[in-house]
Amino acid sequence: MALDVAKEAVEAARAAGAHYADARFVREESESITVRNQEMEGIDRATSEGVGVRVLVDGYWGFAATARPEGAEIARTAGLAVEIARAAARLPREPVTLTGVEPASGTWASPFQDDPFNVSLEEKVALLMEATRRMQEVDGLAFAEAGIDLFRVRTSFASSEGSEIEQTVLHSGAGLDATAVAEGELQRRSYPNSFRGHIAAAGWEHIAKLGLLEEAERTATEAVELLSATDCPSEVTTLVLDSGQMELQVHESIGHAVELDRVLGMEESYAGSSFVSPGDRGTLRYASDLVSITADATIPGGLGSFGWDDEGVPAQRVPIIVDGTFQDFISSRETAGAIGGTSTGAMRADGWQNLPLIRMTNINIEPGEGSLADIIGDTKDGIFMATNQSWSIDDKRVNFQFGCEIAWRIKGGKLTQMYRNPNYTGITAEFWRSCDAVGGREDWTLWGTPNCGKGQPAQTARVGHGTAPARFRNVQVGVR
Amino acid sequence: MPGVIGPDRVRAVVQPALTVPGVDGVEVLFIHEWTGLTRFASSAIHQSTWQEDTGIRVRVVKGGRIGVAASNDFSEEGARRAAESAREMAEVVAPDPLFPGLAPPQPVPESDHFDEATASTTPDRRAEGVATLIAQCGRGLMASGAFETAASEVGLLNTEGQFCWAPSTQASVTTVVTADEGGSGFAETFASTLAEVDPEAVGRRAATKAAASRRPIDLDPGRYPVVLEPAAVSTLVGFLAWIGFGGRLLAEGRSCFSGKQGQQVAQPAITIYDDATSPDTIGLPFDFEGTPRRRVDLIRNGVFLDAVYDRRTAKQAGSETTGHALPPPNPEGPFPLNLFMEPGVASVEDMIASTDRGLLVTRFHYSNVVHPLESTITGMTRDGTFLIESGEVTRPVKNFRFTQSILEALRTASMVGRDTELASEFFFSASRVPALKVDSFNFTGRSDH
Repeated sequence: MALDVAKEAVEAARAAGAHYADARFVREESESITVRNQEMEGIDRATSEGVGVRVLVDGYWGFAATARPEGAEIARTAGLAVEIARAAARLPREPVTLTGVEPASGTWASPFQDDPFNVSLEEKVALLMEATRRMQEVDGLAFAEAGIDLFRVRTSFASSEGSEIEQTVLHSGAGLDATAVAEGELQRRSYPNSFRGHIAAAGWEHIAKLGLLEEAERTATEAVELLSATDCPSEVTTLVLDSGQMELQVHESIGHAVELDRVLGMEESYAGSSFVSPGDRGTLRYASDLVSITADATIPGGLGSFGWDDEGVPAQRVPIIVDGTFQDFISSRETAGAIGGTSTGAMRADGWQNLPLIRMTNINIEPGEGSLADIIGDTKDGIFMATNQSWSIDDKRVNFQFGCEIAWRIKGGKLTQMYRNPNYTGITAEFWRSCDAVGGREDWTLWGTPNCGKGQPAQTARVGHGTAPARFRNVQVGVR
Repeated sequence: MPGVIGPDRVRAVVQPALTVPGVDGVEVLFIHEWTGLTRFASSAIHQSTWQEDTGIRVRVVKGGRIGVAASNDFSEEGARRAAESAREMAEVVAPDPLFPGLAPPQPVPESDHFDEATASTTPDRRAEGVATLIAQCGRGLMASGAFETAASEVGLLNTEGQFCWAPSTQASVTTVVTADEGGSGFAETFASTLAEVDPEAVGRRAATKAAASRRPIDLDPGRYPVVLEPAAVSTLVGFLAWIGFGGRLLAEGRSCFSGKQGQQVAQPAITIYDDATSPDTIGLPFDFEGTPRRRVDLIRNGVFLDAVYDRRTAKQAGSETTGHALPPPNPEGPFPLNLFMEPGVASVEDMIASTDRGLLVTRFHYSNVVHPLESTITGMTRDGTFLIESGEVTRPVKNFRFTQSILEALRTASMVGRDTELASEFFFSASRVPALKVDSFNFTGRSDH
């Protein structure tokens, strides 16, 4: 049994001298299919399994992982984790202490209706072939691409404190990508979102409801129309973002900024730190009073949903920003203790081979009022941008510049001229404080970000963002 | 510590995949990697890891149809199961009209990028190096970073009879030293062996830069002459790899070099090539479909010559493979993993001395593409940005955002550095580039630190 492997690794670590140990036996399977212009671009399946052992020895961390989770190799790996922890003691520091957590025993699985791994390859390929065929019917389109991505991760977790947890998450998604190319110009439109579409903690029923075939023609048409559109003007204006771009805006300028390991300098040399400090809790005016942000690992369908995090801390719903005021970080047992709090349950590892890091769960903006159409209708003059294309932000998450696939001028509450190559820039807190409209539940979508990078060795996490369209005032757009 | 599995055992274990029935061809890519990484922050070790994995990736061909399956079950049974899974996929998909066949048998150069001492580096040895680095930080300075040692062996076998295998190692030390009053300095060293890595020198360089960058001033964005240190140049050259140098991008009109073959795209002093066979880089002597790698001149004396190719893209473009395939299925096409920019004759000091008013940039951060065909990217400066006045570095400045066409920068490059540095973003990939002086660089915003 997988849980027995994890327990054996914990026991081996304790025998080798660990004062605390936890272990995760992980088995991952994935399937990825891409069709381009009605031809197979790639189809592959992958499986990976192994065990990772994390230990504390005299307050110093060690971690080791092996793809051969059996007998002597488990003991060797556990012993190596202890050796690594002892080597860390060469440089004295305040010993790590962990905030308390009740040992947990149980199982959890993300809900789904239809197992996508049981859907025939023929059906999946046929869907993508038809989607690209419909896109190709649009004159002027160069590349019609459609893809499906499936992930299943089974994790068995045991700790020396007595936790024994088994979890399975299933993530499924699909999307379209239309590319038009002309002399010196390349334009793309994606559906439902960029970066492989819309991935959710769900089964085939999620993919079936995405409407890939129904949206294929519009997606391709917009890509072609963008070729002859005017470049987004350079000006300071009112900016309305669709919920897809809001996913990226929340991810980069809030989600990463409130990771407590970044705040404490633990990511300084790689991804960077944060402009937010522990003393800002309850006082920092992060955004306008229309903006409330919640880290919610309990919401069904989110890529950041689970039963327990990879330290055995139960999933939680944590207020991050309430009515514009910063309240709390996403944290771990180690980092929360360092600022006198308790873990908000955000530790996750990429596979068996990496140690857990603080990762976003589902960082959501709480719905406001009205639809996207209402917000646009209420805007006299401005620019509406949709679907992320490019992202860049500084090492403290202060200065950002994001690009979108498409934009339109808003005049008198209506969308008018289309713009290509739109982008905008800002200073995080100034930008969020300028927010004067957040859309309601009707246009709120729980998106998935499948490619969040962090840590050394580099790890990739799938995280969630529930976002609604929103409006911001006095924003610099059209940076060139 | 694990050891090299070796070509004979690799061949034996994956044999069941190569003999799976009912197919026209099989290719097995084998990768065994082991990595130790000692990470530090606030001048103490806070995360140390060790991981080992052994993976196989099987590509099956049946009637021109392709399926790929990967597994980290390195056993005869695991190899057979992966091949069967790949065959199942190949049986349901449409044929690939551009499939060129698997690589034919051909000799591959010997590789000498493996160092046993690096492969077997202990956690204690890395911790000792970190302690040495941190010892370079005086009062008010704190170091963060990572000391990594990694090893791998890669094998490629196919039913055409091609078999190649090569081990390699790499070692790196990277640090950001922060100082009170807003100071920050970066330095790194990257090599194929542990012996070439000097944590003391890296720590000293970053600490000096951090101390010098205390109390940065606000400066208005705009166009400035810049002296870009090699780490910053590496970002520019690395993005050209993503948006320009791939043969598939070029053939499909999606490259910033599309339509520019034979044209002057940069100053005559700029020459960029890819060469995994050079002793001055890391890398494999063959690509991930078994073709021997060879040097490819991409930009010679400022003129764009051609891109890199794998077998499929070469067929698409009517060219020949240059040995730049990535692991299958690889929808992005071929990629140059071992880029070089040829050095010039200037020192960084010469570049600074020749600048009346400009900026010295240590490195860029979190850059991304704004317009691929115009080669425009945006990003931030980080960990040491300085004002140059009258030929001297005078003051540290707060970080700038740039929005800049890479090719435009290369067209206004007026000096090329004489010393090169090796930088790496991920395994099997590295670029060796010099410093550059660019006469006009577009800074479009600034941050508060």
